[in-house]
Amino acid sequence: MKKTAINLTVNGRSRDAVVPPRMLLSDLIRHELALPGTHVGCEHGVCGACNVLVDGKAVRSCLMFAVQADGCEITTVEGFSAGGLDLVQTAFWEEHGLQCGFCTPGMLASAHELLAENPDPTDDEIREAIAGNLCRCTGYEYIIAAIRSAARKMRDAETAAKRQPA
Amino acid sequence: MKPAAFDYERPNDLAAALELLSCEEDTRILAGGQSLVPMMNARLARPKRLVDINRLPDLDYIRDEGTHVAIGALARHRDVKSSRLVRDHLPVIPAAYEWVAHAAVRNRGTLCGNLCHADPASEMPALMLLLGAEMVLTQASGTRIVAASDFFLGLYETAAGPGEMLTEVRIPKPARDTGWGFEEVGMRKADFAWATCAATMRLDGGRIAAPAAAVAGVGDRATRLAELEAAIEGQAPSDSLFADVAREVAVSLDPPSSVGVDAQYRRDLVGTLLPRALAAAARRAEEAKQ
Amino acid sequence: MASHLDSNVIPPSRQRETPRSGLTWIGQSMKRVEDPRILAGKGGYIDDVTVPGMAHAAMVTSPHAHARIVSIDTSKARALPGVIGVYTGQDLARVVDPCPSFASPPVPQHAIVLDKVRHVGEVVAAVVAEDRYVAEDAAELVEVEWEILPANVDIEASLEATGDAVIHPDDRDSNRALDESFQFGPVDEHFAAAAHVIKRRLRWHRSSAQAIETCGVVAQFDPISGSYTIHANTNFYNFIPFVIGGSLRVSPGELRIIPVLAGGSFGSKVFNHKILIRTAGLSRLAGVPVKYIEDRVEHFTNSDSHGSDRLYDAELAVMEDGTFKSLRFTVLDDYGAYLQFGVGTHGNAMAQVTGPYRIESFGMRVIAVLSNKTQQGPYRGFGSEVTNWVMERMADAAAKELGRDPVELREQNMIAADAFPYMIPTGNIYDSGNFQKVLAEAKGLFDLDAWRERAKALRAGGRCVGVGVATCMERSVYGPTEWWSLNNRETPGFTLTSTPEAITARVDPSGKLFVTLHSPMVGNSPETVVTQVLAERLTVAPEDVVINYSDSQSGFNSVGPQGSRFTAMIAGACVSASIKLEERLKRFGAYMLQRRPEDVELRDGCVAVVGSQDQKKTFAEIALTSSFFRLSFPEGEEYDSGIDCTAVYDHPISTDPDPERKHLGIFYPIVGHICHMVAVEVDPGTGKVEILDYAAVHDNGTIVNPRTLGGQVWGGTANGIGTALSEQFLYDADGQFTNPNFSEFAMPTANEMPRNFKLGHVETPSPYTEYGVKGGGEGGRLGAPSALTSAIEDALSDFGVTISSLPVTPPVLRGMIRAAQASG
Ligand SMILES: Cc1cc2nc3c(=O)[nH]c(=O)nc-3n(C[C@H](O)[C@H](O)[C@H](O)COP(=O)(O)OP(=O)(O)OC[C@H]3O[C@@H](n4cnc5c(N)ncnc54)[C@H](O)[C@@H]3O)c2cc1C
Ligand code: FES
Ligand code: FES
Repeated sequence: MKKTAINLTVNGRSRDAVVPPRMLLSDLIRHELALPGTHVGCEHGVCGACNVLVDGKAVRSCLMFAVQADGCEITTVEGFSAGGLDLVQTAFWEEHGLQCGFCTPGMLASAHELLAENPDPTDDEIREAIAGNLCRCTGYEYIIAAIRSAARKMRDAETAAKRQPA
Repeated sequence: MKPAAFDYERPNDLAAALELLSCEEDTRILAGGQSLVPMMNARLARPKRLVDINRLPDLDYIRDEGTHVAIGALARHRDVKSSRLVRDHLPVIPAAYEWVAHAAVRNRGTLCGNLCHADPASEMPALMLLLGAEMVLTQASGTRIVAASDFFLGLYETAAGPGEMLTEVRIPKPARDTGWGFEEVGMRKADFAWATCAATMRLDGGRIAAPAAAVAGVGDRATRLAELEAAIEGQAPSDSLFADVAREVAVSLDPPSSVGVDAQYRRDLVGTLLPRALAAAARRAEEAKQ
Repeated sequence: MASHLDSNVIPPSRQRETPRSGLTWIGQSMKRVEDPRILAGKGGYIDDVTVPGMAHAAMVTSPHAHARIVSIDTSKARALPGVIGVYTGQDLARVVDPCPSFASPPVPQHAIVLDKVRHVGEVVAAVVAEDRYVAEDAAELVEVEWEILPANVDIEASLEATGDAVIHPDDRDSNRALDESFQFGPVDEHFAAAAHVIKRRLRWHRSSAQAIETCGVVAQFDPISGSYTIHANTNFYNFIPFVIGGSLRVSPGELRIIPVLAGGSFGSKVFNHKILIRTAGLSRLAGVPVKYIEDRVEHFTNSDSHGSDRLYDAELAVMEDGTFKSLRFTVLDDYGAYLQFGVGTHGNAMAQVTGPYRIESFGMRVIAVLSNKTQQGPYRGFGSEVTNWVMERMADAAAKELGRDPVELREQNMIAADAFPYMIPTGNIYDSGNFQKVLAEAKGLFDLDAWRERAKALRAGGRCVGVGVATCMERSVYGPTEWWSLNNRETPGFTLTSTPEAITARVDPSGKLFVTLHSPMVGNSPETVVTQVLAERLTVAPEDVVINYSDSQSGFNSVGPQGSRFTAMIAGACVSASIKLEERLKRFGAYMLQRRPEDVELRDGCVAVVGSQDQKKTFAEIALTSSFFRLSFPEGEEYDSGIDCTAVYDHPISTDPDPERKHLGIFYPIVGHICHMVAVEVDPGTGKVEILDYAAVHDNGTIVNPRTLGGQVWGGTANGIGTALSEQFLYDADGQFTNPNFSEFAMPTANEMPRNFKLGHVETPSPYTEYGVKGGGEGGRLGAPSALTSAIEDALSDFGVTISSLPVTPPVLRGMIRAAQASG
């Protein structure tokens, strides 16, 4: 089978790989790039456990071929915590937004995308943003609370940064 | 659940893509991949070759063409859903998009790919019929334009030939005072519809003008309801009128029966949702007058 | 107490730590210890495991529900580059024996079938290849010739099947796997005396847990030592070697199971025996380590963890004044093609079959039916979710037929708050409770009176709004007799009598408390619970507790998270360990302080002289001295160096079943109580249900961590909403499983959850467990289906609709409404 050389930026780091066309992006990330934080729950696009950010947008990595990510910038859960747990992860911790944690990396990707676009989402907007992420453990309520809290923290950090004279 | 092997091409311009598509082999376009890849993962689809159109330049547009809105092959669901232009002229589209998949799927899935996939329970084919859209089909030898009403041929079947790409959808802008209604029921909000009903109309001196209605999920393809439209044109909108015409539509349908979702249920849904969609359209048309 | 229960004497409590207020750590919503690594993507789940030289397995699965294998040709598959081997059931049988079964008599099951398939998705052959993609390519190339046999899909028809439709013709001549009848107390007498006999035929359909992670195994056979090393996301790794060792033909000493963090279980990962045995066998045959991770379709169709699938003919004997006197039913349960746990799910249900009510006798006939579906296994509730629903349906039915208010009728029949411990007719006890208080709390939280008024007014205006109330039991801390107590008396089978939990702990010379758990984390919070209890009992700071996990060779008697047992049991093990460690710490500390052990106490991580502020030694000082400076202490074994222990906690209170099965003994005694109240609106034209308001009050005894308990209630309720409204496995007449995927098996998303869920707690501590802790891992799912059913029935009261089957999907509800409209 013909393989293709690709280069992509994953969590800020340039990575090379040689992949057969059919390799799913989720398998590239997990098994070739050894970043197992991204999870696979269905491989048919429904559960969202495999969500990663591709050029800033939450995407099902099980529905994208690795070759298609050539030249893209990808952020996975490992990227969110590169400098310690980030604000969203911390909010998930504080609000008990995870139980088994299997859905969490995908939830975090969806939450990041939402908060980048909408710093002050309503609960219904949060619901809608994570409706494509199945969680069997939490019943979602504390995940919603976590994202609400993360939004507040991010806004507070923003305000504090603005107040700080340069 | 891993796809079977295939060859992969990623052309950088449209001409090259069309050239690749014109070859005989079992070649398929890979757009957003949100329908094709799940089927490939389950090995329900096993194309020999994929032509990835995601890097083709200048196909992600949503453009104002005066009489119509033109949407290119690479416009993602997300872009169409959030487009100001679409919202202003075709508000039924973003409303319907609330029911289409999830944010992450909409981030990659394309409107054109969705239409070419022609899932009978998909919302957008019904809207294209409703709005009288035209499909621009391009192949190496040239371009043809097919009306939406001639495009959807059956279960996962469209008028697009093997070497053809749907490069653009043209959606006429309805008159400013057109009202719309959209109703859907599925198991969960983002699931494929058990029944979808959409309608538009204007009110002319209190009478229904230029009515349009379409349904999806209740047959092998989305359907425009010409008889219903004829029956309500020129009438004063009323709940009983809408209920009556919807009942006729419901009995005339031959919806699929699947385990757990019987045909009669789908008929009932049309009987319930169609009057609601029509009434909403009438209400919005009324509001548009004010 | 009824005389059939005379021999069932309640043993005295072995509680050491009494429930009390003013605790420091127990009761705090401490952030979970488990979370940081999981949040960072470093949880370490089964598919994250790689071992050198590892190959990948893919399965050839049956497209038919019931068929004989005429021939299998694996030659094309074997010829594919990258394929290491292709193995049929006959090949696997060279190295492994049939799967274990707890049923008596057992129903034989092979990890790869030998000669016929009994459900869609069953494994016919396995491929081992260099990667999963190639393995799947090869699996497609295996050619099987089939002889199709009649499929058993309908529960009642299966029972009548003969000839080729019999699923295990070599072992039994029908599909009736077990048929047993029981009487607990004078049932017939009570029914004869009843003023009203309420009858209902009730159907509970099949679904399963579907944790977001599927089951998986990485197995490695070492031909030199003849032993296996296996990574698996089973809940049960310290018992699994005993259970599967026989099948793998090795002793537990030749089997090392290494646990991983599991991505949710809800019962579905309790055993995983089939994939453990199969993958281990494949690694032996192929001569390489093998990874097998179920894909989602395989998890749906072949994971042996389908839930109950029951048909009840139930009767409730009610006295003139509304007193519930006796309950009896015949239940058919479609167990699928095999019977791994016998009728353990009915044994479980016997723990609380009469609900929170003073029902004096109970009778049942249980018939286990075999069919051409995937076999049942544990699923959140383990069968009790169904009897809760049956009991609540019967209570509603009684209210309707007697013209009584359903809540008031329930209150009338509730066990009084001063009647505990209370023995129910089956012999199980309810350790404690205050059902009236829970109900009162829920009424307030939900504002029941206001909602009922509102619903009535809205119904008068033509809308279908209704209110439902469920008052249910949530048994916790199971004893193993539930698995065999209903078996045939002569051959009861696998008769365990304790479900222990253990920890190993040591105070290291730096003063840290190193703790080894012998059960895995599956989404519960074992590390957090252990940290909180040990911090409480030993007065250490939570950050000084360091937790790790054993494997099956370094582990100790531990059953793990299932049956809502873990929190109460591990708290017990922590207390046992604390007592041992305290004794050691005090002995060494007192000596260092030149006092007697009786004169010192534990305080803030120190051994301190009673009554003195400054005369103390930190645990670090004591552990350092005791570990490294043996000569500082006197002669004698009691001063052997180091401070450590292994401590086990056996089931706190259980008794054996009566040999004649007049009662089943005490086996599931630590009961919580739950009250769910919900308001719904049904759209009669579409059958869609909207949840308008929801309140859940749970009494799980002393709460260790309110936030994590809240998470369980929420999650269980979401699960119960799915069970009630949307989740069902659908089969066509040929036995095809038509919706084994996340698109069509509709688990609730955030959009489907109620917008304003209110959660309340009552704390009635258990007199038997340490600190009074009860379990709470299943609760939401034990109450939500009942409350929703009542609410929907209430909403549709103008149509006269009776709901006798779950789930009520929109098409089902619409069908009922249509029928009512047509006839009315
Ligand atoms: C979880 C989930 C939920 C979903 N829910 C819904 C829903 O509720 N409603 C709904 O309508 N859809 C739903 N979808 C499908 C989604 O809308 C897809 O994006 C869409 O159907 C296909 O668009 P695509 O760009 O991804 O096409 P692809 O998957 O790339 O292609 C689909 C098909 O169209 C062909 N094709 C693609 N582009 C072109 C073109 N320009 N010209 C000719 N042929 C082309 C391909 O060869 C292929 O056969 C869902 C998908 C998922 C994964
Ligand atoms: S694994 Fe990709 S959506 Fe489930
Ligand atoms: S935390 Fe387990 S699936 Fe979400």
